[in-house]
This record gives sequence, C-alpha cells and structure tokens, in this order.
Amino acid sequence: MSDPGQGGPQGVLRLGRQAFGPDRLLVMAIVNRTPDSFYQPGVTWDPTAAMERVHVVVGEGADIVDIGGVPARPGDEVEVSEEIRRIVPFVAAVRDAYPDLIISADTWRHEVAREACAAGADLINDTWGGWDARLGEVAAEFGAGLVCSHAGGLPPRTRPFRVAYADVVDDVRRTTLALAERAVAAGVEPARILIDPAHDFGKNTWHSLEVTRRLAELAATGWPVLVSLSNKDFVGETLDAPLDERVAGTLATTAVSAWLGARVFRVHQVRETRHALSMVSAIRGDTPPALAVRGLA
Amino acid sequence: MPATIAAAALCPSPPLLCPQLTGRRPVLPELRAACAEVVGRLLGQDPDVVVVVGPGAATGTWDAGSRLDLSALAPGIAEGGRGTAIAEGGRGTAIADGGRSGVPLAVGLGAMLLDQAGYRGPRHLQAVGRDEPAGACAKLGAELAGSGARTALLVMGDGSARRTLKAPGYLDPRAAGFDSGVERAIRAGDLAALLELDQALARDLMATGRPAWQVLAGALPAPAPATEVLYCDDPFGVAYLVAYLHPREGEEGTR
Repeated sequence: MSDPGQGGPQGVLRLGRQAFGPDRLLVMAIVNRTPDSFYQPGVTWDPTAAMERVHVVVGEGADIVDIGGVPARPGDEVEVSEEIRRIVPFVAAVRDAYPDLIISADTWRHEVAREACAAGADLINDTWGGWDARLGEVAAEFGAGLVCSHAGGLPPRTRPFRVAYADVVDDVRRTTLALAERAVAAGVEPARILIDPAHDFGKNTWHSLEVTRRLAELAATGWPVLVSLSNKDFVGETLDAPLDERVAGTLATTAVSAWLGARVFRVHQVRETRHALSMVSAIRGDTPPALAVRGLA
Repeated sequence: MPATIAAAALCPSPPLLCPQLTGRRPVLPELRAACAEVVGRLLGQDPDVVVVVGPGAATGTWDAGSRLDLSALAPGIAEGGRGTAIAEGGRGTAIADGGRSGVPLAVGLGAMLLDQAGYRGPRHLQAVGRDEPAGACAKLGAELAGSGARTALLVMGDGSARRTLKAPGYLDPRAAGFDSGVERAIRAGDLAALLELDQALARDLMATGRPAWQVLAGALPAPAPATEVLYCDDPFGVAYLVAYLHPREGEEGTR
C-alpha cells in the first residue's frame, strides 16, 4: 500500500473489488436522484427512469455510477432524511442489479454516506471540500474510497462571489492534499483516495481554465485526479454556449485533462466520453487501436 | 474646518467592470458607460484630489500607485501569454504595474475608473473595513472631507447580492427592501439614513457597500446634497447603483 501524499508517480487506484493502474481512464456516470439538478433537471427523478439510465450507461461503458440526491446549486433545503430517502434505496437496487459495478455516493454528509455505504456504495464523492469532517471516518469504517475536493472554502450549495486566489492551483493542491492526509489519518486506505479540483466550485471561469491548464501539477502529487467538467458553466462561458450545446467543449476539456494526468471523469455523456478517452489512450500509446488495417492490406 | 467635498460619485464594484476580465463580448455596457459618465462629471469639478473609498478587509490607505491584481481574479491573462483576454475599450488601463498587490477589489476598481478617465492628478486610495461600525465610517468620512483640499469622492460599493434565485447569494426576501431603502436615501440626498443601515443585515445580504456608503454620509453631512441616479439595476442579482452627488448651489464647501 502506497501513500502518495508526498508526491510522485501515480499508483494503483482501488475502487470496490477492482484495481486500476494509472493507464486506465475511468468514466463515472452521473445519475441524479433529484428533481432540480442543473443539467436535464428531473430526468432520473423517477426511480424507474434512474435504473434505466444505469442500464444505459453501463452498456455505454461506464466504470462507475455516481448517485446524488442534492443539487450543487442553491435551492430548497434537502434534509438528511430526504437525501437518504432519495439515494440509499436506489444504491441498494443498483447493487442488486450489478454486483460488481462501482457505486459512488455523491454527498457531503457523513450520515448519508454511512447509509449509502451500508447499502453498497464503494466511494464517497464529496464535492464540497470536506465540509463534514466525518466523511473520512465513514469511508474508513466501510473500506470505501473518498474524493477530496476543493470548493474554495465555500459552504455546500453556495455560489462563488468575486473569489480571488493568489494562485488557484496552489490553493487546490494544498487543500486537496490536506484533505487526503486527513482521510489517511482517519483510516481510509490511501489507494482509495482521489483528489478533485472541482471546476466551477468556488471558482470563476478563469480559475477553472487555469486549473485545467495546470492539471499536471495536481497529478504530480501522486494522488489520482478526478475531474468533473461535464456541461459546466466554465465551458458554457468559454464557448458562449447554452446548457445543451456544451458537449464538444466538455469533451475537449476531457481530452486535455486526460492528457495532463486525470484518471476519473464524472460525466453526463458516457459514450462520447468513452470515445474521447479511448482516443487519448491510443495517442499516448497506452492502448492499441481497436482495429488497424488502413494501409496494411 | 470647512468641508471641502466638491462632489461625490457612487459606483458599484463588481469585477466585471474591468473589461479585461469579461472575455471578448462586451458585458453590461450601460453600467460601464454610467460609471464612466459619473467619474467624468466628478473630474469635471477639477478637484485638488480624488479620494477613492471602498470596502476592504480592514481600514487603511493604499499607495496611490496601487492597482487591482487581476491575476488573482483571472490567472493566465496578466502574463499576456496564450489565453490572453482581449480588452475591449480598455484605453490604456494600467493594471498591476507598480504599487503593492492586494489592494481591495472595490478600491482597485475605483482606481481603474480614474485611469480609464485619463485622470493623472493626485489620488488617495482609502479602504474602509468591512466590519467597521457606522460611527467609525462617518468619522472617517468627516476626516476625508476636512482635509482642506477641494476633494472629489469616488465611493465604490454594492447592494445586496441576494436579490434573485440566480444571484450569487441566492434569493433572500429581505434584499429588495434593503436595497430600495438605500436607493431612496440616495435619491433623496438623505445620507443620514445610510448611517442607520443594519450592519448585520447588510452582511447577511452580502451588501458589501455598507461601510463605504457610511463614509459618504460622514463626508457629506446636512444639508442634503443634490443627487442624480444614473443607473440602478440588478442584472446578475446584485444591486448596482451609480449616482452623482453634489452640494446644492451656493452651499458648496461649507457646513
């Protein structure tokens, strides 16, 4: 078991019963159990539609499903009990249907994380920068993984307001490293810890672009890097594109991020992301083309 | 000592006032135009000194050469390398050249407005602490007004950032009432009303302008100045107010 906290090469990432070397680029499919998330709100609010979405994304090559019950943006309060009601039975249902699929619970609350892990979740995806310090203890208790993210110190479900950083990447690096070390201290297996710069969270578009541009600095920490780019505002602002026209921008950012060392990609469009990542893997020489006969006959 | 405020201008302080920060498309041209116009009127008074007042972490003055550090808000554009933003209408704005970094946003944006107007005369950059109570703010205003020099005040401050569901601070139902109270006070020249603003409520509503407005109130005590509002809107859920205030005819410079 390695502790990459001091920086160095990327090692094995363990999720559930599986282990992934640094060459494996993983697709995490978003499955929102919410009526009001920003992208296609409510599309998987119905449990049947949500399970259908899981079937589809598994078929498209998702390695992980990320199940969330609270939108990131501000809105009506979602109590702990309601968040549990939204995601825990669904985690259990997905676990029943897919014994080996890696299930991630998108939550910042340890009470919810505990129930989700008990129902079969393998990973706790905390987008809000360790706001709840007890998440690590839950991950340790269940042998689950933990995503350590940077939200610029914002409380959950708040928007950035005139945020400024002397060096945003340095702030991301320090924050996520400290959270990863806190998780190790809480007993989380180091090979199950990821870091996430959390594009758009506590960041304006310039900050998210800078984080992307310098993603290699985060990969150099040795911790596996997860990026959540999908259809986000920094893509929309960069391209002046409304929500339904951000896929190409998302995929471009995905490819650059993969090239710079990101290993897990949290997305809405699984098939397109899989293609983009397979292309990057082939360009890097990590995987051969599916078929190569051109000019070879 | 007689007060010597020749005129005062009120502008908001969102980073998006700075053309370099907002990308290729013009953003809120009408707000930028209103700010340019009100600063132009202020400078038209031919003051001995322009005092820029804006909220900051703590009360204090900044070197007149201080400018906003854009790299903190927009890494990648200050270096002038790849990814450089195209300034639309920046007109030679000096950015991050000289002066120590870290000047508060509002003060730095005030300095930028003066630069954009081509002002090269004496300037005094004054931050007022975001938690400074009303009395201290008013006292600071009186001191700034009592310097003996013919002074133009450029007051940088914003209303609530919680006016709509899409506002930076989401919707707070108290925001509308708070902001309309400020607007009413400015329109009526009733600056004493600004001294009554609830400090805790202003903080809850993310109304960063509160201490700067109270400095203004201290600098322009009775009689009520003549005022003109050039812009009052909340295009992104934050209350922006641009106004021009000047002592009434025959009363300038005395109290």
